[in-house]
Amino acid sequence: MRITQNLMQTQFLASLGSLESNLAQTQSQISTGLAFTSPAQNPAAAGNVNTYDQLLSQSQQYTTNANSAQTNLNTENNALTQVQSQLQTLRSLALEANSGTMSQQNLAAIATQAAQIQQSLIGAANTQNGNGEYIFAGYASQVQPFSQSASGAAYAGDQGQLQVQIAAGQTVATGDNGNTVFNQIKTGNGTFTVAAAAGNTGSGLIGATTVANPAAYTGGSYAIQFTAANAYQVLDSTSAVVSSGTYASGQAISFAGLQVTLSGQPATGDSFAVAPSTNQSLFTTVQNLVNSLTTAAAGPLNSTALSNAIGGTLNNLDQALSNVSTVQASVGGRLNAITSALSIGTTQQTQLQQSISNLQSLDYPAAITSLTNDQTALSASMQAYTLTQGLTLFKYL
Amino acid sequence: MSDLFGISVSALRALQTAISVTSNNIANANTPGYAKESVDLTTATPQTNGVASVGAGVQVSGILRAYSQAATNQLNNSQSSLGQLSGLQVYTNQIDNIIGTSAGGLSTSLQNYYNAWANVANAPTSTATRQALLSAAQGVASSFQSSSSQLQTLNTTINSGITADVQQINSIATSISTLNQQIVVGTAQAGGQPPNDLIDQRDQLLSNLSKLIGVTTSTGSNGALNVFVANGQPLVLQGNVTQLTTVPGPYNASQLEISTATMGKNIISGSITSGDLGGLLAARTQAVNPALNQLGQVASALAQSANTQQGAGLDLTGRLGAPLFSIGAPVATAASTNTDATTATASVADVGKLTANDYVLSYTGGAYQLSNAATGAAVAFTGAGTAASPLSADGLSIVLSGTPANGDKFLIQPTAQAAGTFAVAITSPSQVAAAGAIKTAVSAANTGAATISGGTVIDATNPNLLAGATIQFTSPTTYTVNGGASNTYTPGGNIAANGWQVQITGTPAAGDSFTVQANTGGGGDNRNALASAALQNQGVLAGGTISVNGAVSALITGIGGQAQQVNSAQTAQSSVNAQALQTVQSISGVNMNEEAANLLQWQQAFQASAQAMSIGNQMFTNLMSALSNGIL
Repeated sequence: MRITQNLMQTQFLASLGSLESNLAQTQSQISTGLAFTSPAQNPAAAGNVNTYDQLLSQSQQYTTNANSAQTNLNTENNALTQVQSQLQTLRSLALEANSGTMSQQNLAAIATQAAQIQQSLIGAANTQNGNGEYIFAGYASQVQPFSQSASGAAYAGDQGQLQVQIAAGQTVATGDNGNTVFNQIKTGNGTFTVAAAAGNTGSGLIGATTVANPAAYTGGSYAIQFTAANAYQVLDSTSAVVSSGTYASGQAISFAGLQVTLSGQPATGDSFAVAPSTNQSLFTTVQNLVNSLTTAAAGPLNSTALSNAIGGTLNNLDQALSNVSTVQASVGGRLNAITSALSIGTTQQTQLQQSISNLQSLDYPAAITSLTNDQTALSASMQAYTLTQGLTLFKYL
Repeated sequence: MSDLFGISVSALRALQTAISVTSNNIANANTPGYAKESVDLTTATPQTNGVASVGAGVQVSGILRAYSQAATNQLNNSQSSLGQLSGLQVYTNQIDNIIGTSAGGLSTSLQNYYNAWANVANAPTSTATRQALLSAAQGVASSFQSSSSQLQTLNTTINSGITADVQQINSIATSISTLNQQIVVGTAQAGGQPPNDLIDQRDQLLSNLSKLIGVTTSTGSNGALNVFVANGQPLVLQGNVTQLTTVPGPYNASQLEISTATMGKNIISGSITSGDLGGLLAARTQAVNPALNQLGQVASALAQSANTQQGAGLDLTGRLGAPLFSIGAPVATAASTNTDATTATASVADVGKLTANDYVLSYTGGAYQLSNAATGAAVAFTGAGTAASPLSADGLSIVLSGTPANGDKFLIQPTAQAAGTFAVAITSPSQVAAAGAIKTAVSAANTGAATISGGTVIDATNPNLLAGATIQFTSPTTYTVNGGASNTYTPGGNIAANGWQVQITGTPAAGDSFTVQANTGGGGDNRNALASAALQNQGVLAGGTISVNGAVSALITGIGGQAQQVNSAQTAQSSVNAQALQTVQSISGVNMNEEAANLLQWQQAFQASAQAMSIGNQMFTNLMSALSNGIL
């Protein structure tokens, strides 16, 4: 191959250019710490880094969501704890009032105390979170959901339940609406209620009520009527007699799969109404208690009627307590789910950061070796060029 | 005696020429396009004295160029390929930077946008989170617009590049034709000896031309060079030049195409596939426009999915959400060559089927044909092109204003303008539809244990969506909606009416009822915000298989891959080109050491010939003195 000086120079310049461009790239890699500075240098990795970045950002957002849900659920949990404790106090007051030793004055005092608890319960039901949203209002969280009324409290919220996403494919409810927590509470024992008729003259007290045979109870209403002081009959809604018997205090009366225990001495003509449970607001239950106590305090005192009323209220309060506990247990479960999602999220974020780093972080030893190699090649190439350039015959002419 | 002088003089003359040629070689060692020359020495016609044939000295029968047509052609071809790749590379690398950095920006702003929806879901009544969402949406719009405008700028620089290349090509072609004339005349004047320096100049011009556009050549018997470009389109024929011209594109006047002065509106851009000009054209059709289309495809997918979701929710004022983003409709352009005023209008019917392709709709033989603008492949379609029966293909719906004339063509660009026109359409935080459109309720008097789901909107355009309805159970297993026909109850099954859908689960009792109604007052509801945030993982494109985020990642990989491929092709072609250059140089280049040696050789021969002459002179003097001395 014939070599010309021009060619030698062109080749030298070309190799100089390529070495210098290598050096520049390695230098930029070292100064940025990135294995590639544009997608063209590693398209697949660039696409993957973008995907991982998106996943990371998403996962971090899930953490933000979970923290926000945690805050809301903790607020709800506190409110529910407060409600529970108020209900327990109310329950003690009801038992106290039912002890049979209370004077009318004391009953009036208890009524006042119960009315105050009612207000504080409504206050708890109107709890707001840090954004000023009413947590028990469903979707209508900008409007105060509960306002006191003659029959307890009116509900202005709806039946919505907010969710947030705390992990891919996992959402968690950040609250419960007031309807579920405070309104949709079954009366009585959850299946049926027993109430003494207003005109009862005897001292028949309602005791335990149970569903002995759920299959036999079809949800009808019945009346237990005393035809004599020791004889009763059970009528259904069409006034047909479904059962009758001899009354003994404390002995269960069974009919239609239900058992009702009455005690004391009912008078002839006394009756007790048995009806399927309906939904009743917690605040109505409390208001009923306040009303019963107020009526009793105003006199004349009918201790049997008061006792039966308080007994019914206690049943309803127990239902309310059970409902609030169930909601609170569910809140606890959700908080646990959030904690576990947060922990999984942290692990996932670490892994994603690791993956991103593996893809785009520079292998410094390799880069520095490559820099040194290029440097050596460049200086050698320069030296070789000057050496060969000196070799010319014209020097000797 | 005279022949002795004659021989010496012929040698001195020939060697002087040889030394001139060598000096000329040395002088032009670095002149681009110079081919090393050498003297062609032959013996002069010998004299016969009847006994023997005695040589009559040396003569210069020509000056030869060290030249290989094959090697030069190879270099020119290689330069054309390299020119194309280098021209293309400039743009693929710029697009790589635009997408790699500002689409990295796009990726970040998209993520901010989806996260902003999640934050609205966390605090649906907060004006601050809603305002942050609008800002994040504005960030997405800015990313799309900025990427798009940077890509559009590339098309502008491509136009300037095309104009400059065409001017240069025409100017070189003119110079070649002038040289052709001079060479033809020069050869004739020199009695058939070629004017080497002019040929060198012409070859150098051809070499420069081959960097701009791929050429094929033929040399006429008179020495004139004919140059052809594209598919055999003559550029230089003898002394004549057919100039290239730039003409506005038939569909887009802002994109210049190549034609020739004699071809009218016939465009030859498609067959210019090499040289810098070929590279610029390829950059436009293979890099810039596809990148704009792909970016637009992502923008369309985002706008469509976000707007649909927004329309299925209620804003703070209790109205169904107005579109969050506005985006330009697909562009349908009638070719400037169409003979009538028929216009086409295209719209997106199904974003999931939308591609990043452009289409050409042509009307020939009384029927429409739809083809892929890049590949020319036929695309299947249905419909007649009327408003009642629009042409439907690849998620597009095309309506023509009348019946076009035969030969009419329309370019349909579904997504080319989408990224550039992407904008946020709502301004007030209260217009963000974070709440679900409907809410459901269990009637308080229900005695059964059934529950109802919150309800989802399946058709936001249903006029009765917000009208409200009651689902009444007439028995534990049958229900009616708004007192209509009786339906059989399936726990968890979908119950749909008025554009909404709910599920009832559990065991209802006869007489139980559930209500579905407008989510009035539900400002604290976040269901629609939650659904909007979840859109980031939802397949929208490619028939609902690729999410917006996935499409951005694919865009980055695709653009980076193209840049990488062009870069490596360019590097490979550089090596090929260096090899071709080496071959040409090794044939035609000047080697200084070789010239020094030649110089010495000619010098010695010149000295020897001079000496021979001097000896002849001495012999003559001797002879003369012998004569005068009377020896002879």
